[in-house]
Amino acid sequence: MDHYTDYSSFTEALIGFNQVARDYGFKVGLQCSQDSISTALAGLWMEKDLFEYALAALFCQAEEEKERFSMVFKRFWLEKGSRVQSISTYKNQKKIIKNARSVAVMMGIGKSDKTGDVEEGKNTSGANAKDVLKSTDFSQLNPKQSELLDDLSEQLVKEMSLRIRRKKKKARKGQINLGQSIRKNLQHGGTIIQLFKNRKKKEKYRLLILLDVSGSMDKYSYYLLKFLWTLRAHFKNIEVFAFSTVLKRITEQLSDKDIGIALQNVSMHATHWSSGTKIGECLTHFNENYAPYHLNGKTLTLVLSDGLDTGEPEVLSTAIQKIKLRSKKLIWLNPLKGMVGYQPIQEGMKAVLDDLDHFSSAHNLNSLLTLENILADA
Amino acid sequence: MSYKHPSELIPVIDKLGYVIEEELATVLYLMMKLDKPLLLEGNPGVGKTKIAYILSELLGYELIRLQCYEGLDVNNAIYEWNYQKQLLAIKIYENSQKSESEKEALIFGEEYLLKRPLLQAIDSGKRKVLLIDEIDRADEEFEAFLLELLSEFQISIPELGTIKADQTPIVVLTSNRTRELGDALKRRCLYHWVNYPSMEKEVKIIQKHIPEVELELAKQIADYVRQMRALKLDKAPGIAETIDWAKGIALMQNENEPLAKTLSCVLKSARDIEIVTKEILMSPFGGGEGDGN
Repeated sequence: MDHYTDYSSFTEALIGFNQVARDYGFKVGLQCSQDSISTALAGLWMEKDLFEYALAALFCQAEEEKERFSMVFKRFWLEKGSRVQSISTYKNQKKIIKNARSVAVMMGIGKSDKTGDVEEGKNTSGANAKDVLKSTDFSQLNPKQSELLDDLSEQLVKEMSLRIRRKKKKARKGQINLGQSIRKNLQHGGTIIQLFKNRKKKEKYRLLILLDVSGSMDKYSYYLLKFLWTLRAHFKNIEVFAFSTVLKRITEQLSDKDIGIALQNVSMHATHWSSGTKIGECLTHFNENYAPYHLNGKTLTLVLSDGLDTGEPEVLSTAIQKIKLRSKKLIWLNPLKGMVGYQPIQEGMKAVLDDLDHFSSAHNLNSLLTLENILADA
Repeated sequence: MSYKHPSELIPVIDKLGYVIEEELATVLYLMMKLDKPLLLEGNPGVGKTKIAYILSELLGYELIRLQCYEGLDVNNAIYEWNYQKQLLAIKIYENSQKSESEKEALIFGEEYLLKRPLLQAIDSGKRKVLLIDEIDRADEEFEAFLLELLSEFQISIPELGTIKADQTPIVVLTSNRTRELGDALKRRCLYHWVNYPSMEKEVKIIQKHIPEVELELAKQIADYVRQMRALKLDKAPGIAETIDWAKGIALMQNENEPLAKTLSCVLKSARDIEIVTKEILMSPFGGGEGDGN
């Protein structure tokens, strides 16, 4: 990375710093550069802490960026040579700074060294790190990433539920009720002063989730369950069932506000975790015992499974057809679909593909967040 | 009043009842120097809104507040014609000798305009502090509109023409970060993340608001609140809750178990009270009731 001593004047150094910051992923436009010069003109450049605070307010756009900014600032302005030497070395160059505004157009003079440092910067970028995390396959996450993903998914699901609520709220605005408007405005001699609108009936939909927790889903089911827990906190009318060789309703167990307790409850209740897979039989059991209560024309059914069934494909196909008939939409999310070159050639998957309204991947957070469109349309 | 250094702001703001650290003072100083809007992000209850009120008092400008919410639209944020009044005026002027264009000019005059906060903020000779509170709750469409306003500080009303601010307001936006704001809006603002106060700062806040609370007790309260924020509660206590709790404890100081009895001042759900009682008050490592007395 460049250092301020590589430049002949403070103004050049400041413009150079803007360039370095840009290389490190900060969105430093022309206005921002001019503002950074104005900041120096306001006298803040003489005190490194205040100068850092001021430039951080200009360059950062999120809390996560502050740590990275601080690192870039320190490496540019403080490190190299004696730490005692500070930017106040340039105190005698006040005259040069006075002409600084006109120098803003010299933005291009900062040296753009797009080498290792830059890559490092990109890798440590808060925004980039989030993007990477969102697109990382659940099976590849390390414990630290897993923890970060929990917080991120909670935040994103919260945002998602907010957006969906807004869409639905807008959609609920009804047409003008002319009759009522006339009646209510009789007191004004029939002049329509106030308009009355019909309220659309709020459509209540249900979300039914059938989660495969068999051995082949081990790498995914834990994260999917955590995602469902987050989803449950923000969406009403969700029913969750877990299945492998047997099927269990886990809605109540997932309802605890503490995710640790919720997962513990689920593991104690659904002891068939990580066993074999009999999707067809489990779904048949669902149809016979639960479907009448949980499926209707307003139910959106989500099956989260890799489709690696050990039972008869016909049994699975029949069960899925029955679910499809009683649901508004049937969606199958398969973690394996995220793999390059994946083809749904397993017997189980082949048997049900034609009955699905939507077949999508569920291997990372990004793919789960695409549920937004489905939930909004429900 | 013009300030020459951020450090000059600290004692003045302190006198207004807000404990401010050097970083925020620098950002406020810069905001005044650069005349740029300030975006404050942070958890609910950390004192973001209060900063706008403090600025208003500090500068002696009137504060105009726009509280954002889902579905906030131009009619509620900028202006709306007073339709009822216009209709009544039409009735009154029905038989008058005025021409159609005169009548039209009359009913689309300023007298019939209902000015909402954004228009109030730019439409007068006096400078104002404009607080756009919880912008994250407004829709993206409104955010886009705001972007235009913050660039030009002018509003076009088809019937009246363009109203441009003589004096641009000091704009403070707050966000609880329930959604990410657009890059374009962020680029136009100075950014500052308001964190929960450090323990030292929270002790100062408690003593500033409730001077009768002794230092040791204030430290104990601040420490408990810090521990509470580390737990996954439904609603982490904000600064206002800390102050309420300190007030409650000050009133109940002579009773048995004042901390436990006043927990409802700081926690807002039965579940949170249960967790805190178990994890902090009853815990041998949490300090326990009476440790600091």
